[in-house]
Amino acid sequence: MLKISPEELKLVAQYIHDISGIYLDQSKSYLFETRLGTIATEHGCSTYKELYQKAKAEPSKTIERKIIDAISTNETLFFRDKGPFELLQFKLLPELIDARTPSSPVLKTNIKIWSAASSTGQELYSIAIIIKELLPKIANYSIKLLGTDISDGAVAQASRGKYNKFEMERGLPGDKLQRYFTMFGDSWTIKDEIRAMVQFKKLNLMLPFVGLGKFDIIFCRNVAIYFTLPDRQKLFDKIADNLADDGYLIIGSTESLTGICPRFIPKRHLRSIFYQKK
Amino acid sequence: MNNMTILVVDDDPVIRRMLEKRLEKEGYEVLIAEDGYQARKILPQQHIDVVLTDLMMPGSIGGIEVLDIAKNLNPNIEVILITAHSSIDTAVEAMKKGAADYLEKPINFDELFLRLEKIANVNSIMRNAMDLSQAMDTTESAASETIQNLEIKTAELQNQIDMLETILRDEETSIYERIDKAIDLLTKQKIT
Repeated sequence: MLKISPEELKLVAQYIHDISGIYLDQSKSYLFETRLGTIATEHGCSTYKELYQKAKAEPSKTIERKIIDAISTNETLFFRDKGPFELLQFKLLPELIDARTPSSPVLKTNIKIWSAASSTGQELYSIAIIIKELLPKIANYSIKLLGTDISDGAVAQASRGKYNKFEMERGLPGDKLQRYFTMFGDSWTIKDEIRAMVQFKKLNLMLPFVGLGKFDIIFCRNVAIYFTLPDRQKLFDKIADNLADDGYLIIGSTESLTGICPRFIPKRHLRSIFYQKK
Repeated sequence: MNNMTILVVDDDPVIRRMLEKRLEKEGYEVLIAEDGYQARKILPQQHIDVVLTDLMMPGSIGGIEVLDIAKNLNPNIEVILITAHSSIDTAVEAMKKGAADYLEKPINFDELFLRLEKIANVNSIMRNAMDLSQAMDTTESAASETIQNLEIKTAELQNQIDMLETILRDEETSIYERIDKAIDLLTKQKIT
Protein backbone atom coordinates (compact mmCIF):
# COMPACT_ATOMS: atom_id res chain seq x y z
CA MET A 1 0.00 0.00 0.00
CA LEU A 2 1.27 3.45 -0.98
CA LYS A 3 2.40 5.34 2.13
CA ILE A 4 1.23 8.87 2.89
CA SER A 5 3.57 11.55 4.27
CA PRO A 6 2.54 13.98 7.04
CA GLU A 7 2.54 16.88 4.56
CA GLU A 8 0.36 14.95 2.15
CA LEU A 9 -1.98 14.05 5.01
CA LYS A 10 -2.62 17.71 5.69
CA LEU A 11 -3.10 18.50 2.03
CA VAL A 12 -5.41 15.57 1.31
CA ALA A 13 -7.44 16.03 4.52
CA GLN A 14 -8.07 19.67 3.61
CA TYR A 15 -9.00 18.69 0.05
CA ILE A 16 -11.46 16.03 1.26
CA HIS A 17 -13.01 18.54 3.62
CA ASP A 18 -13.38 21.05 0.77
CA ILE A 19 -15.10 18.64 -1.60
CA SER A 20 -17.27 16.76 0.89
CA GLY A 21 -17.32 18.43 4.29
CA ILE A 22 -16.03 15.17 5.73
CA TYR A 23 -13.38 15.71 8.37
CA LEU A 24 -10.93 12.81 8.58
CA ASP A 25 -8.69 12.46 11.60
CA GLN A 26 -5.14 13.13 10.42
CA SER A 27 -3.65 10.88 13.07
CA LYS A 28 -5.19 7.92 11.27
CA SER A 29 -3.00 7.77 8.20
CA TYR A 30 -4.03 4.17 7.48
CA LEU A 31 -7.55 5.47 6.82
CA PHE A 32 -6.22 7.57 3.96
CA GLU A 33 -3.95 4.82 2.73
CA THR A 34 -6.51 2.04 2.67
CA ARG A 35 -9.15 4.21 1.08
CA LEU A 36 -7.13 6.20 -1.42
CA GLY A 37 -4.16 3.93 -2.15
CA THR A 38 -5.89 1.94 -4.88
CA ILE A 39 -7.19 5.09 -6.59
CA ALA A 40 -3.67 6.53 -6.64
CA THR A 41 -2.20 3.39 -8.21
CA GLU A 42 -5.09 3.12 -10.65
CA HIS A 43 -4.38 6.59 -11.96
CA GLY A 44 -0.66 6.03 -12.18
CA CYS A 45 0.24 8.32 -9.27
CA SER A 46 3.28 7.45 -7.23
CA THR A 47 2.44 9.88 -4.41
CA TYR A 48 -0.74 11.20 -2.78
CA LYS A 49 0.31 14.72 -3.73
CA GLU A 50 0.27 13.70 -7.35
CA LEU A 51 -3.21 12.20 -6.88
CA TYR A 52 -4.39 15.41 -5.25
CA GLN A 53 -3.02 17.55 -8.09
CA LYS A 54 -4.52 15.28 -10.72
CA ALA A 55 -7.91 15.21 -8.99
CA LYS A 56 -8.00 18.99 -8.68
CA ALA A 57 -6.97 19.66 -12.27
CA GLU A 58 -9.26 17.14 -13.89
CA PRO A 59 -12.29 18.82 -15.51
CA SER A 60 -14.36 15.63 -15.64
CA LYS A 61 -14.02 15.20 -11.84
CA THR A 62 -13.75 11.42 -12.22
CA ILE A 63 -11.04 11.10 -9.59
CA GLU A 64 -12.85 13.46 -7.25
CA ARG A 65 -15.95 11.27 -7.50
CA LYS A 66 -13.90 8.16 -6.82
CA ILE A 67 -12.33 9.78 -3.77
CA ILE A 68 -15.75 10.74 -2.42
CA ASP A 69 -17.03 7.19 -2.98
CA ALA A 70 -14.00 5.80 -1.17
CA ILE A 71 -14.10 8.03 1.89
CA SER A 72 -17.83 8.19 2.51
CA THR A 73 -18.80 5.42 4.88
CA ASN A 74 -21.51 3.23 3.51
CA GLU A 75 -22.16 1.18 6.60
CA THR A 76 -25.93 0.99 6.67
CA LEU A 77 -28.59 -1.59 7.27
CA PHE A 78 -32.22 -2.15 6.60
CA PHE A 79 -34.12 -0.94 9.66
CA ARG A 80 -30.84 0.04 11.35
CA ASP A 81 -31.84 0.67 14.99
CA LYS A 82 -35.43 -0.36 15.45
CA GLY A 83 -36.16 2.88 17.36
CA PRO A 84 -36.52 5.42 14.56
CA PHE A 85 -38.65 3.12 12.43
CA GLU A 86 -41.02 2.29 15.28
CA LEU A 87 -41.20 6.00 15.97
CA LEU A 88 -42.11 6.62 12.33
CA GLN A 89 -44.69 3.86 12.23
CA PHE A 90 -46.46 4.38 15.54
CA LYS A 91 -46.13 8.10 16.17
CA LEU A 92 -44.83 10.39 13.45
CA LEU A 93 -46.74 9.04 10.45
CA PRO A 94 -50.09 8.71 12.25
CA GLU A 95 -49.74 12.23 13.66
CA LEU A 96 -48.70 13.59 10.31
CA ILE A 97 -51.59 11.95 8.50
CA ASP A 98 -54.03 13.46 11.00
CA ALA A 99 -52.47 16.87 10.49
CA ARG A 100 -52.22 16.69 6.71
CA THR A 101 -55.46 15.00 5.64
CA PRO A 102 -57.50 17.64 3.77
CA SER A 103 -61.14 18.18 4.64
CA SER A 104 -62.19 17.46 1.06
CA PRO A 105 -62.08 13.75 0.20
CA VAL A 106 -61.06 14.47 -3.41
CA LEU A 107 -57.81 16.00 -2.32
CA LYS A 108 -54.79 13.85 -1.59
CA THR A 109 -52.76 13.88 1.61
CA ASN A 110 -49.29 15.21 0.84
CA ILE A 111 -46.34 13.76 2.70
CA LYS A 112 -42.68 14.48 1.94
CA ILE A 113 -39.87 12.57 3.59
CA TRP A 114 -36.15 13.09 3.04
CA SER A 115 -33.30 10.73 3.85
CA ALA A 116 -30.49 13.27 3.82
CA ALA A 117 -27.58 10.82 3.73
CA SER A 118 -29.22 7.86 2.08
CA SER A 119 -26.03 5.89 1.40
CA THR A 120 -26.97 2.74 -0.51
CA GLY A 121 -30.70 3.25 0.10
CA GLN A 122 -31.54 0.87 2.94
CA GLU A 123 -32.99 3.60 5.19
CA LEU A 124 -35.29 5.04 2.53
CA TYR A 125 -36.48 1.61 1.36
CA SER A 126 -37.18 0.71 4.99
CA ILE A 127 -39.28 3.89 5.26
CA ALA A 128 -41.09 3.03 2.03
CA ILE A 129 -41.88 -0.47 3.32
CA ILE A 130 -43.33 0.98 6.53
CA ILE A 131 -45.50 3.42 4.58
CA LYS A 132 -46.69 0.66 2.26
CA GLU A 133 -47.72 -1.44 5.25
CA LEU A 134 -49.29 1.44 7.15
CA LEU A 135 -51.36 2.89 4.32
CA PRO A 136 -53.56 0.36 2.56
CA LYS A 137 -55.14 3.01 0.34
CA ILE A 138 -51.89 4.45 -0.86
CA ALA A 139 -53.61 6.04 -3.88
CA ASN A 140 -55.24 8.57 -1.53
CA TYR A 141 -51.84 9.94 -0.69
CA SER A 142 -49.21 11.85 -2.55
CA ILE A 143 -46.01 10.60 -1.04
CA LYS A 144 -42.61 11.86 -1.99
CA LEU A 145 -39.63 9.95 -0.66
CA LEU A 146 -36.27 11.47 -1.50
CA GLY A 147 -32.85 10.03 -0.74
CA THR A 148 -29.67 12.02 -1.27
CA ASP A 149 -26.02 11.17 -0.84
CA ILE A 150 -22.70 12.72 -1.76
CA SER A 151 -21.36 9.50 -3.27
CA ASP A 152 -22.25 8.74 -6.90
CA GLY A 153 -21.53 5.08 -6.28
CA ALA A 154 -23.93 4.96 -3.33
CA VAL A 155 -26.67 6.80 -5.27
CA ALA A 156 -26.27 4.38 -8.19
CA GLN A 157 -26.49 1.33 -5.93
CA ALA A 158 -29.47 2.77 -4.08
CA SER A 159 -31.24 3.39 -7.39
CA ARG A 160 -30.63 -0.19 -8.51
CA GLY A 161 -32.02 -1.46 -5.20
CA LYS A 162 -29.87 -4.57 -5.46
CA TYR A 163 -28.10 -6.00 -2.42
CA ASN A 164 -25.86 -8.98 -1.74
CA LYS A 165 -26.56 -11.52 0.96
CA PHE A 166 -24.26 -9.84 3.48
CA GLU A 167 -26.08 -6.55 3.08
CA MET A 168 -29.40 -8.36 3.49
CA GLU A 169 -28.61 -10.64 6.40
CA ARG A 170 -28.63 -8.11 9.20
CA GLY A 171 -31.66 -6.09 10.13
CA LEU A 172 -34.29 -7.27 7.71
CA PRO A 173 -36.95 -9.61 9.10
CA GLY A 174 -37.53 -12.71 6.96
CA ASP A 175 -41.16 -11.95 6.13
CA LYS A 176 -40.29 -8.48 4.81
CA LEU A 177 -37.44 -9.93 2.79
CA GLN A 178 -39.72 -12.43 1.07
CA ARG A 179 -42.47 -9.88 0.50
CA TYR A 180 -40.49 -6.95 -0.85
CA PHE A 181 -37.43 -8.47 -2.52
CA THR A 182 -36.81 -10.82 -5.42
CA MET A 183 -33.87 -13.20 -5.14
CA PHE A 184 -31.59 -13.72 -8.07
CA GLY A 185 -28.51 -15.86 -7.52
CA ASP A 186 -26.79 -14.48 -4.44
CA SER A 187 -28.40 -11.06 -4.59
CA TRP A 188 -31.75 -9.53 -3.74
CA THR A 189 -33.54 -6.79 -5.64
CA ILE A 190 -36.24 -4.56 -4.20
CA LYS A 191 -39.62 -5.06 -5.89
CA ASP A 192 -40.94 -2.43 -8.30
CA GLU A 193 -43.87 -1.48 -6.04
CA ILE A 194 -41.37 -0.19 -3.43
CA ARG A 195 -38.77 1.01 -5.92
CA ALA A 196 -41.40 3.23 -7.59
CA MET A 197 -42.09 5.06 -4.31
CA VAL A 198 -38.58 6.48 -3.93
CA GLN A 199 -36.16 8.74 -5.71
CA PHE A 200 -32.41 9.08 -5.21
CA LYS A 201 -30.08 11.86 -6.24
CA LYS A 202 -26.66 13.23 -5.49
CA LEU A 203 -26.38 16.07 -3.00
CA ASN A 204 -23.48 17.56 -1.05
CA LEU A 205 -24.86 18.60 2.33
CA MET A 206 -22.21 21.33 2.56
CA LEU A 207 -23.66 23.22 -0.42
CA PRO A 208 -26.89 25.26 -0.42
CA PHE A 209 -30.05 23.14 -0.72
CA VAL A 210 -31.55 24.39 -3.96
CA GLY A 211 -35.11 23.51 -4.96
CA LEU A 212 -35.68 20.85 -2.35
CA GLY A 213 -38.72 22.51 -0.78
CA LYS A 214 -40.05 21.72 2.68
CA PHE A 215 -40.22 18.25 4.12
CA ASP A 216 -42.52 16.79 6.76
CA ILE A 217 -39.94 14.35 8.07
CA ILE A 218 -36.18 14.52 7.65
CA PHE A 219 -33.84 11.66 8.52
CA CYS A 220 -30.26 12.86 8.95
CA ARG A 221 -28.65 10.03 10.82
CA ASN A 222 -24.97 9.37 11.42
CA VAL A 223 -23.61 11.76 8.84
CA ALA A 224 -22.99 14.98 10.78
CA ILE A 225 -20.59 13.02 12.97
CA TYR A 226 -18.10 13.23 10.10
CA PHE A 227 -18.31 17.03 10.00
CA THR A 228 -16.62 19.71 12.10
CA LEU A 229 -18.72 21.64 14.64
CA PRO A 230 -19.15 24.77 12.46
CA ASP A 231 -20.17 22.57 9.53
CA ARG A 232 -22.70 20.74 11.71
CA GLN A 233 -24.17 24.05 12.84
CA LYS A 234 -24.58 25.19 9.24
CA LEU A 235 -26.05 21.85 8.20
CA PHE A 236 -28.77 21.71 10.87
CA ASP A 237 -29.63 25.36 10.30
CA LYS A 238 -30.28 24.57 6.63
CA ILE A 239 -32.23 21.48 7.64
CA ALA A 240 -34.42 23.65 9.89
CA ASP A 241 -35.09 25.89 6.87
CA ASN A 242 -36.21 22.88 4.85
CA LEU A 243 -38.43 21.32 7.52
CA ALA A 244 -42.14 22.14 7.78
CA ASP A 245 -43.01 24.10 10.94
CA ASP A 246 -44.71 21.08 12.47
CA GLY A 247 -42.31 18.61 10.82
CA TYR A 248 -40.01 16.09 12.47
CA LEU A 249 -36.26 15.61 12.40
CA ILE A 250 -34.60 12.31 13.28
CA ILE A 251 -30.87 12.14 13.91
CA GLY A 252 -28.65 9.20 14.82
CA SER A 253 -29.30 7.61 18.19
CA THR A 254 -25.90 8.63 19.54
CA GLU A 255 -26.01 12.15 18.12
CA SER A 256 -26.96 15.34 19.90
CA LEU A 257 -28.06 18.80 18.78
CA THR A 258 -27.09 20.46 22.06
CA GLY A 259 -24.88 23.39 21.21
CA ILE A 260 -25.43 22.77 17.52
CA CYS A 261 -28.86 24.07 16.61
CA PRO A 262 -31.02 26.08 19.04
CA ARG A 263 -33.92 26.03 16.58
CA PHE A 264 -34.80 22.44 17.51
CA ILE A 265 -36.16 20.96 20.72
CA PRO A 266 -35.85 17.26 21.52
CA LYS A 267 -38.95 15.22 22.34
CA ARG A 268 -39.10 11.72 23.68
CA HIS A 269 -41.37 8.94 22.54
CA LEU A 270 -40.80 5.60 24.27
CA ARG A 271 -37.13 4.83 23.76
CA SER A 272 -36.54 7.25 20.90
CA ILE A 273 -35.97 10.93 20.48
CA PHE A 274 -37.12 13.18 17.67
CA TYR A 275 -36.78 16.91 17.15
CA GLN A 276 -39.23 19.63 16.26
CA LYS A 277 -38.78 23.29 15.55
CA LYS A 278 -39.33 25.66 18.44
CA MET B 1 -5.10 -26.31 13.40
CA ASN B 2 -8.22 -26.86 11.36
CA ASN B 3 -11.38 -26.99 13.35
CA MET B 4 -13.87 -27.05 10.52
CA THR B 5 -16.25 -29.96 10.22
CA ILE B 6 -16.57 -31.37 6.74
CA LEU B 7 -19.31 -33.64 5.49
CA VAL B 8 -18.10 -35.91 2.69
CA VAL B 9 -20.88 -37.21 0.44
CA ASP B 10 -19.90 -39.82 -2.14
CA ASP B 11 -21.34 -43.15 -3.21
CA ASP B 12 -17.90 -44.53 -4.14
CA PRO B 13 -16.45 -46.21 -1.00
CA VAL B 14 -12.85 -45.88 -2.25
CA ILE B 15 -13.06 -42.11 -2.78
CA ARG B 16 -14.98 -41.73 0.48
CA ARG B 17 -12.29 -43.56 2.44
CA MET B 18 -9.49 -41.61 0.74
CA LEU B 19 -11.12 -38.24 1.40
CA GLU B 20 -11.81 -39.16 5.00
CA LYS B 21 -8.18 -40.21 5.63
CA ARG B 22 -6.57 -37.22 3.93
CA LEU B 23 -8.89 -34.67 5.52
CA GLU B 24 -8.47 -36.15 9.00
CA LYS B 25 -4.72 -36.08 8.53
CA GLU B 26 -5.02 -32.34 7.83
CA GLY B 27 -6.86 -31.98 11.12
CA TYR B 28 -10.43 -31.56 9.91
CA GLU B 29 -13.40 -33.19 11.60
CA VAL B 30 -14.90 -35.50 9.00
CA LEU B 31 -18.43 -36.86 8.72
CA ILE B 32 -19.39 -39.35 6.06
CA ALA B 33 -22.56 -39.86 4.03
CA GLU B 34 -22.83 -42.72 1.56
CA ASP B 35 -25.32 -40.92 -0.64
CA GLY B 36 -27.62 -37.90 -0.85
CA TYR B 37 -30.24 -39.53 1.35
CA GLN B 38 -27.81 -40.00 4.21
CA ALA B 39 -26.54 -36.45 3.72
CA ARG B 40 -30.09 -35.17 4.03
CA LYS B 41 -30.39 -37.01 7.36
CA ILE B 42 -27.05 -35.84 8.76
CA LEU B 43 -27.18 -32.16 7.71
CA PRO B 44 -29.87 -31.01 10.16
CA GLN B 45 -28.39 -33.01 13.05
CA GLN B 46 -24.79 -31.81 13.05
CA HIS B 47 -22.87 -28.58 12.87
CA ILE B 48 -21.21 -28.63 9.47
CA ASP B 49 -18.97 -25.97 7.93
CA VAL B 50 -18.28 -27.48 4.53
CA VAL B 51 -20.03 -30.12 2.43
CA LEU B 52 -17.84 -31.92 -0.07
CA THR B 53 -20.18 -33.78 -2.37
CA ASP B 54 -20.06 -35.80 -5.54
CA LEU B 55 -22.23 -34.28 -8.24
CA MET B 56 -23.58 -37.55 -9.65
CA MET B 57 -25.00 -40.04 -7.18
CA PRO B 58 -27.62 -42.77 -7.49
CA GLY B 59 -31.21 -41.94 -6.62
CA SER B 60 -32.97 -38.58 -6.82
CA ILE B 61 -30.67 -36.71 -4.42
CA GLY B 62 -27.52 -35.74 -6.32
CA GLY B 63 -24.93 -33.10 -5.53
CA ILE B 64 -27.17 -30.23 -6.67
CA GLU B 65 -29.95 -31.42 -4.35
CA VAL B 66 -27.48 -31.76 -1.47
CA LEU B 67 -26.41 -28.16 -2.20
CA ASP B 68 -30.03 -26.99 -2.03
CA ILE B 69 -30.69 -28.86 1.21
CA ALA B 70 -27.55 -27.49 2.87
CA LYS B 71 -28.11 -23.89 1.75
CA ASN B 72 -31.74 -24.02 2.85
CA LEU B 73 -30.72 -25.21 6.29
CA ASN B 74 -27.99 -22.63 6.68
CA PRO B 75 -26.71 -20.30 3.94
CA ASN B 76 -23.34 -20.16 5.71
CA ILE B 77 -22.57 -23.81 4.95
CA GLU B 78 -20.15 -23.87 2.02
CA VAL B 79 -20.53 -26.59 -0.58
CA ILE B 80 -17.78 -27.89 -2.87
CA LEU B 81 -18.84 -30.21 -5.68
CA ILE B 82 -16.73 -32.99 -7.08
CA THR B 83 -17.36 -33.52 -10.78
CA ALA B 84 -16.21 -35.50 -13.73
CA HIS B 85 -14.83 -33.33 -16.52
CA SER B 86 -17.91 -34.03 -18.63
CA SER B 87 -20.26 -32.38 -16.15
CA ILE B 88 -18.52 -29.03 -15.74
CA ASP B 89 -21.52 -27.16 -17.15
CA THR B 90 -23.66 -28.55 -14.33
CA ALA B 91 -20.98 -27.55 -11.83
CA VAL B 92 -21.02 -23.98 -13.15
CA GLU B 93 -24.82 -23.97 -12.79
CA ALA B 94 -24.29 -25.11 -9.20
CA MET B 95 -21.94 -22.18 -8.56
CA LYS B 96 -24.76 -19.86 -9.61
CA LYS B 97 -26.96 -21.56 -7.03
CA GLY B 98 -24.46 -20.79 -4.30
CA ALA B 99 -21.83 -23.54 -4.40
CA ALA B 100 -18.47 -22.24 -3.20
CA ASP B 101 -16.42 -24.14 -5.73
CA TYR B 102 -16.04 -27.35 -7.74
CA LEU B 103 -13.20 -29.83 -8.12
CA GLU B 104 -12.58 -32.04 -11.08
CA LYS B 105 -11.89 -35.74 -10.75
CA PRO B 106 -9.34 -37.10 -10.11
CA ILE B 107 -9.14 -35.00 -6.95
CA ASN B 108 -6.01 -32.92 -6.56
CA PHE B 109 -5.62 -32.78 -2.79
CA ASP B 110 -3.38 -29.73 -2.72
CA GLU B 111 -6.08 -27.88 -4.59
CA LEU B 112 -8.75 -29.16 -2.20
CA PHE B 113 -6.77 -28.10 0.87
CA LEU B 114 -6.21 -24.63 -0.59
CA ARG B 115 -9.93 -24.16 -1.17
CA LEU B 116 -10.73 -25.34 2.33
CA GLU B 117 -8.16 -22.98 3.81
CA LYS B 118 -9.71 -20.13 1.87
CA ILE B 119 -13.14 -20.99 3.22
CA ALA B 120 -11.73 -21.19 6.76
CA ASN B 121 -10.13 -17.76 6.34
CA VAL B 122 -13.29 -16.16 5.04
CA ASN B 123 -15.28 -17.77 7.86
CA SER B 124 -12.93 -16.43 10.48
CA ILE B 125 -13.01 -12.93 8.97
CA MET B 126 -16.80 -13.07 8.86
CA ARG B 127 -16.93 -14.17 12.48
CA ASN B 128 -14.64 -11.32 13.44
CA ALA B 129 -16.78 -8.83 11.56
CA MET B 130 -19.92 -10.17 13.20
CA ASP B 131 -18.30 -9.95 16.65
CA LEU B 132 -17.22 -6.40 15.95
CA SER B 133 -20.61 -5.32 14.74
CA GLN B 134 -22.21 -6.98 17.75
CA ALA B 135 -19.84 -5.08 20.02
CA MET B 136 -20.58 -1.89 18.12
CA ASP B 137 -24.33 -2.39 18.47
CA THR B 138 -23.99 -2.89 22.23
CA THR B 139 -21.79 0.17 22.67
CA GLU B 140 -24.08 2.18 20.44
CA SER B 141 -27.24 1.32 22.32
CA ALA B 142 -25.65 2.07 25.70
CA ALA B 143 -24.24 5.35 24.41
CA SER B 144 -27.50 6.37 22.80
CA GLU B 145 -29.42 5.88 26.03
CA THR B 146 -27.00 8.15 27.90
CA ILE B 147 -26.93 10.76 25.17
CA GLN B 148 -30.69 10.85 24.75
CA ASN B 149 -31.23 11.25 28.48
CA LEU B 150 -28.75 14.11 28.55
CA GLU B 151 -30.35 15.67 25.50
CA ILE B 152 -33.79 15.74 27.15
CA LYS B 153 -32.38 16.90 30.49
CA THR B 154 -30.46 19.72 28.83
CA ALA B 155 -33.60 20.87 27.03
CA GLU B 156 -35.55 20.83 30.33
CA LEU B 157 -32.84 22.83 32.07
CA GLN B 158 -32.75 25.32 29.23
CA ASN B 159 -36.49 25.70 29.52
CA GLN B 160 -36.18 26.29 33.25
CA ILE B 161 -33.50 28.92 32.73
CA ASP B 162 -35.76 30.67 30.21
CA MET B 163 -38.64 30.69 32.70
CA LEU B 164 -36.38 32.04 35.45
CA GLU B 165 -35.23 34.79 33.15
CA THR B 166 -38.81 35.76 32.38
CA ILE B 167 -39.66 35.88 36.08
CA LEU B 168 -36.58 37.87 37.06
CA ARG B 169 -36.97 40.36 34.26
CA ASP B 170 -40.65 41.02 34.97
CA GLU B 171 -40.63 44.69 35.84
CA GLU B 172 -44.33 44.74 36.75
CA THR B 173 -43.60 42.98 40.05
CA SER B 174 -41.35 43.96 42.92
CA ILE B 175 -37.86 42.56 43.17
CA TYR B 176 -38.81 40.55 46.32
CA GLU B 177 -41.78 39.02 44.62
CA ARG B 178 -39.60 38.04 41.66
CA ILE B 179 -37.08 36.34 43.94
CA ASP B 180 -39.88 34.51 45.74
CA LYS B 181 -41.30 33.29 42.45
CA ALA B 182 -37.86 32.28 41.22
CA ILE B 183 -37.12 30.28 44.36
CA ASP B 184 -40.55 28.75 44.17
CA LEU B 185 -39.86 27.60 40.61
CA LEU B 186 -36.47 26.21 41.53
CA THR B 187 -37.88 24.27 44.49
CA LYS B 188 -40.69 22.79 42.40
CA GLN B 189 -38.47 21.79 39.50
CA LYS B 190 -35.50 20.46 41.35
CA ILE B 191 -33.44 18.22 39.15
CA THR B 192 -33.85 14.59 40.01
